[in-house]
Amino acid sequence: MSAATRRYSLFEPNKIGELSPAAKFALYTFLAAWSLFVLFPIYWLLITSFKTPTAVNNGPFFIPWVDFQPSLHAWRDLFVLDFEDTFRAYTNSIIIAVSSTALSVLVGSMAAYSLSRIEFAPNLITILYFVALLIGSCVAIGVFDADLWLTLAVAVALFFLLARAVGKLYTVRLKNGDVLFWIISQRILAPIVVVVPIYMMFQSVRLLDTHIALILTYAVVNMPIVVWLMYDFFSSIPRDLEESAQIDGATMIMTFREIVLPLSRAGLSATTLLVMIFAWNEYLLALFISTSRAQTLPILVAAMNAGERGILWWTMSVAIIVMIIPVVVLAVVLQKYITKGLLVGAVKG
Amino acid sequence: MNAHSSELTAVAKGITADELNKFYGGFHALKDFSLEVMPGEFLVLLGPSGCGKSTALRMIAGLESISSGTLTIGDRDVTEVLPKYRDIAMVFQSYALYPHKTVGENIGFPLKVAKMPKAEMEKTILAAANQVELADLLDRLPAQLSGGQRQRVALARAMVRRPSVFLMDEPLSNLDAKLRGNMRAELKHMQSTLGITTIYVTHDQIEAMTLAHRVAVMKDGELQQLGTPKQVYTDPANLFVAGFMGSPPMNFLEGEIKDGVFTGPGMTLTATGYADTAHATLGFRPEDCSVVERGAGQLDARVYTFEMTGDQSLVTFRAGDKPLVVKMPNDFEVAADETAGISLSTSSVCFFDQAAGLRIRPVS
Repeated sequence: MSAATRRYSLFEPNKIGELSPAAKFALYTFLAAWSLFVLFPIYWLLITSFKTPTAVNNGPFFIPWVDFQPSLHAWRDLFVLDFEDTFRAYTNSIIIAVSSTALSVLVGSMAAYSLSRIEFAPNLITILYFVALLIGSCVAIGVFDADLWLTLAVAVALFFLLARAVGKLYTVRLKNGDVLFWIISQRILAPIVVVVPIYMMFQSVRLLDTHIALILTYAVVNMPIVVWLMYDFFSSIPRDLEESAQIDGATMIMTFREIVLPLSRAGLSATTLLVMIFAWNEYLLALFISTSRAQTLPILVAAMNAGERGILWWTMSVAIIVMIIPVVVLAVVLQKYITKGLLVGAVKG
Repeated sequence: MNAHSSELTAVAKGITADELNKFYGGFHALKDFSLEVMPGEFLVLLGPSGCGKSTALRMIAGLESISSGTLTIGDRDVTEVLPKYRDIAMVFQSYALYPHKTVGENIGFPLKVAKMPKAEMEKTILAAANQVELADLLDRLPAQLSGGQRQRVALARAMVRRPSVFLMDEPLSNLDAKLRGNMRAELKHMQSTLGITTIYVTHDQIEAMTLAHRVAVMKDGELQQLGTPKQVYTDPANLFVAGFMGSPPMNFLEGEIKDGVFTGPGMTLTATGYADTAHATLGFRPEDCSVVERGAGQLDARVYTFEMTGDQSLVTFRAGDKPLVVKMPNDFEVAADETAGISLSTSSVCFFDQAAGLRIRPVS
């Protein structure tokens, strides 16, 4: 069967244009009701942002100019009175989300590409030897107060001198699947579980409450997702295509730019979007690692929930609205690539 | 043809493989593979799946490393050379068309990589597309083409650069039977017109017979026999080649050669000049024998089935537990379950040593 042949499912619904008027009416009614249901919270958010505290507290009013008089009170609060805080949180969020996403997508997709193209065979014993040396060094430094650089030098020397010999003692080779599973297993544990060690690590290198701390943390936390998703996308690109390009004279970089990148654009877009949303909305880790200078939008929003003045629904609504705008824009921009990529598809004989 | 484009017409080069070996871990995939391909020759690597023929081709292409041995293309040792410097083009079984590029871009990719000027590139692409009758499909995407058209795009892309060697890995196996026949003829015509050295991998012995100047039959990573299609068909080197070539394949009967006479189950045949062999196999092609009256041939057997194929009739006998097939003219008829004789022409039978599987030839 050629790839152009479309496969119909067992119960292929009629196209909307082919429905009877009654069915069409029912369908549109249902869709409209569903849209209302889905969009109502956003509408509520929007009108709340234009309410005064009195209008909010007086009860549920939904129709502006009828139920209540719209006011820019909350917007002024956030963008004029507290401009500095808002602006800082906004730029922090943008810097941290963009940088951490770029870092994890770049490194993660490179890892995924190599895992899908190269057969690795690391020896488990050598890895265990490495881990043992690492633990030994930590104990020596932390418990017995050994000199940091001396310990490191000894550990590195021991590793390179004996790694081969230790590896030959007993050979247990891992495969790509094991490496892949190890990477995703890093995400099975909720990242928040290790927040205390992360906090102490950044504290010891004096990076608490900095962009770099949050960028690194998010990049590491999201990397397994990138590797897992991109591995699947890269694996679906037939190897023949790259081999053919190689024979046709293309360099590795050209093969990547001309063949692999265009074919994985859909996957990259989807992964970027997903990871970006995770980083943009992340709250728990940011709560620990940032205190004031590196505070992100979710922290700002949450702070309005716990002030001395009670819950500031109105300013919170404003903050949430400005917070979801970039994500919506990004989704719209990337969606073009996602659908286009799916349309091209791979050609099978 | 102007001066510049004639520069693109490379001189066909020969290929020499000298004791190539390939190991995948402990698995010996290709064993001492030695082969010399003449410039402009169409050589077919033939064998069942897993026989190492694709591995051999991929090693010649540079897609698999060579564990040991040397490979020469033209006068150049390319054993350690990257694929792109080997001056080859390859057609993959899957065609390996770039799905996001149009037909024109696909064909032009090798030229784009070689940084050919745009105007000249368009001319060359059009010429190649014309050659495979694709000129009006240049703006389509591969997904919008039929199987045969995709195949043509792959061919055009391979020949657009005028490489000195074509490598083809089962290029016709994804086409339906009728199209395969047409493409086979076109491929052969194209190869002889362009005169480019071609190595073609297939498991289909009809393709091998029809296309090749010479056929290299392979099994279990070893070259079994190298020769013209006729040599391989009529003069097989061993039991495997004899059984692999031909459709229906050669008939085999096991027996013993003693004092110049082959004795099998219920039959004898003069085997003058052959040394005594305790375990010998007699082989004869279905077309080198005929069905005769009971007792008139060298052996009698019961007719198992009778099949009319249009241009001929196939009579299958059972001798012991083995089928024996005889090709007869299409006006011949015999009823199933009848017992009839089979007459062999002594000159066209082959004898094999069962233990080694090798052909036995007359001593004198």
